[in-house]
Amino acid sequence: MARILLVEDNEMNRDMLSRRLQRKGHDVTLAVDGREGVAMARAGAYDIILMDMSLPEIDGWAATRLLRGAPETQQVPIIALTAHAMAGDREKALEAGCDDYDTKPIELPRLLAKIDTLLARDA
Amino acid sequence: MTEPARAERPALGGAVPRRQAALLRLSTGIAAAHDEAAIYRSVVTGLHDEALGYNFLGVFLLDETTEDRVLQASVGWPDAPAAMRVHRGEGLSAQAMQDGRLHYTPDVRRESRYLASLASGSEVDVPLRVDGKTIGVLVVESAEPNAFGEEDFEILQAAAHQAGIAVARARLLAEERRRADEHKALLDTMADLSSELELSRVLQAVIERAVALLGVTGGEVAIYEEETGELVVVASERIGKDSTGTRLRLGEGAMGTVAQTLEPLIIPSYHEWLGQSAKYADVVVHSVMAAPLLIGRRLVGAIATVHSDPARVFDQEDLRLLNLFAPQAAIAIENAQLYTAAQRQRQYFGELVRNSPVAIVTLNPQYRVVECNPAFERLFGYTQAEAVGRNLDELITTDATREEAERYTREALGRAVQGIGRRRRKDGSLVDVEVLGVPVMVDGERVGLMGLYHDITELLRARRDAEAANSAKSQFLASMSHELRTPLNAIIGYSEMLQEEVAELGQPQLIEDLAKIHTAGRHLLALINDILDLSKIEAGKMQLYVETFAIGPMLDDVVTTARPLVAKRANRLDVERPADPGTMDADLTKVRQILLNLLSNACKFTEHGTITLSLERDGAHIVFTVCDTGIGMTAEQMDRLFEAFAQAEASTTAKYGGTGLGLAITKRFTNLMGGDVQVESTPGQGCCFTVRLPARVSPVA
Repeated sequence: MARILLVEDNEMNRDMLSRRLQRKGHDVTLAVDGREGVAMARAGAYDIILMDMSLPEIDGWAATRLLRGAPETQQVPIIALTAHAMAGDREKALEAGCDDYDTKPIELPRLLAKIDTLLARDA
Repeated sequence: MTEPARAERPALGGAVPRRQAALLRLSTGIAAAHDEAAIYRSVVTGLHDEALGYNFLGVFLLDETTEDRVLQASVGWPDAPAAMRVHRGEGLSAQAMQDGRLHYTPDVRRESRYLASLASGSEVDVPLRVDGKTIGVLVVESAEPNAFGEEDFEILQAAAHQAGIAVARARLLAEERRRADEHKALLDTMADLSSELELSRVLQAVIERAVALLGVTGGEVAIYEEETGELVVVASERIGKDSTGTRLRLGEGAMGTVAQTLEPLIIPSYHEWLGQSAKYADVVVHSVMAAPLLIGRRLVGAIATVHSDPARVFDQEDLRLLNLFAPQAAIAIENAQLYTAAQRQRQYFGELVRNSPVAIVTLNPQYRVVECNPAFERLFGYTQAEAVGRNLDELITTDATREEAERYTREALGRAVQGIGRRRRKDGSLVDVEVLGVPVMVDGERVGLMGLYHDITELLRARRDAEAANSAKSQFLASMSHELRTPLNAIIGYSEMLQEEVAELGQPQLIEDLAKIHTAGRHLLALINDILDLSKIEAGKMQLYVETFAIGPMLDDVVTTARPLVAKRANRLDVERPADPGTMDADLTKVRQILLNLLSNACKFTEHGTITLSLERDGAHIVFTVCDTGIGMTAEQMDRLFEAFAQAEASTTAKYGGTGLGLAITKRFTNLMGGDVQVESTPGQGCCFTVRLPARVSPVA
């Protein structure tokens, strides 16, 4: 069981992914844009952050950079989620400070595997 | 002056050699003479010897029309009028002229007929004879009476004889020369033949000369007309009627017969001959000789000559003479026809150029306009009169395009050049043109160049419009794909989630339907992703992210991903690769996608077969091969294979699924990385795709 912060502006995606993760036993907190995501991440203690990249207010890349710049969130693993496997998105995400990267639509087993890997690394 | 001469006379030993010497001088002079006038000068100057008493010498020639004797050359009479004329019967030399014998007058003062020259002394007149005919007289006068004796007569007669022979020879030569000139003139005329009208004139001249030379009554010449297979008479000379325009079939009449047999023919009694043509029924001729006119063995016409005199019959000698004229006539016909054909061709091309929608201009080697066609006038606004003589590049270029245009022009003098450029009209407006410049060669000699201008303003505009439309289309597809994907993600995600939930809630009968929604959503997503990729490639927005990666793990990953596909139709996957294939610099995502596309393709068209993925290094290249033992393809199917939405047959999409875009994307990705993809296949036996990629892909694609 992990405490997960899901930053996602699309309501359906947010609802769907959070429900599926919860059914797998995870504790999921929701943020609807980049600004809220950064604020919540710094206020709470999360094991991992799932960050959509195309967000309003502050986009995922900028939000990631902010989190990497803040001491309290510097070490929290971040997985970038993008709409499409556009070559370049992955590089851009890793450059911004993400630890891994996955594409939508989410294949749950694959995402869960990535989450497990990151949590195991930090454990 | 005369006194010493007389004093020497008794010394015969001196006089005889002097006479011989005079004769020798004369002979030498004559031998060197090229024409009659020179011969006469040699006669008088050669004989002239004061010591012998040959004080005055003159040569007179008979003018046949007036019967006057005309002085040709003289010596010793300083005041002798040039071309002095002596009328018939006048003067002492009239006698010799008349009877053709030498006459001696010991004392001219006693003779009433004497026409004063030296007005004293004695005179010898020696006739000049050529071919038995007296053509003139040599007059020799001494200032003293009784100056001449037998020795003188002998010498002077010998001199006159020699002169006669020389004159005969000179006249023959002149005649030969005149004939040669005439012949050359005729040939020149034929070479210059520039129309059918001139042809009939030349042929008329040929037949007239033939008639004169052969001494026949008349004759005619006909041209063979290939289109109709008939002879047409074009020249007719004294055959009793003007036969010009008469047409004869092959085998008809004398000329028709020789035109058919291609052999000459002599008809001794024409009125008894069975081959007569009715067209000549009104012509009274006794005998006929005809010959075909040939160029090699090709018939171009026929020639015929006729005798109306029953006493005259043609023989082989006549035939030989006729054969002298036949080639002249044949060549004249051939030349005229070649000229006419060339003329027609020139007119034909002239029409082509005049009516061509392409602007055409010809330049001399100094790049000045020689002529231009109406399309050129329309395109650039200059009339031909305005353009002729101007430097073309100064006329129709702008400062910006001058240099480029001049380069074209220079190069076009040597070889054909082609390009696209912008030119200026007379009114200053600009026009986009496609330019073709070609050298103009005549008989291997460069005489100038030709420029062809095709107005491509519309074409360029259409292309720009098409490019803009295409780019808009790609843009639209890219954004539409993106917009479509968001709701699709929800469909896929919720259907997947529902499958998990219904399983947990114990309602397995719903799983199958949910799986169908999920599969359809996945397929739609794959389609949209592929379209997005393609439209990005087409719009030039697909970028390469080159990184260094280990090939082995990449292959393992691809194989793992492909396993379920391979298993689906009970296929086997063999991987042939070196233990450590090393690394490559390339776009990892695209290499993976290329291999997965090929494997997915192979799996789709193979059942219970083997799919082989192999890898090898070939110098600076990595070669991936995916072979299957599936249904394969025909050559026609392979042609369209890499086009978008071109599954070999529309029906295959229905049967085998797939977006039809996989191979199109594979090819574009491969090309983007500087590689290429090839396919080999035998229908029914499977196919092999080979992808060659540079091991070190250049990041700037």
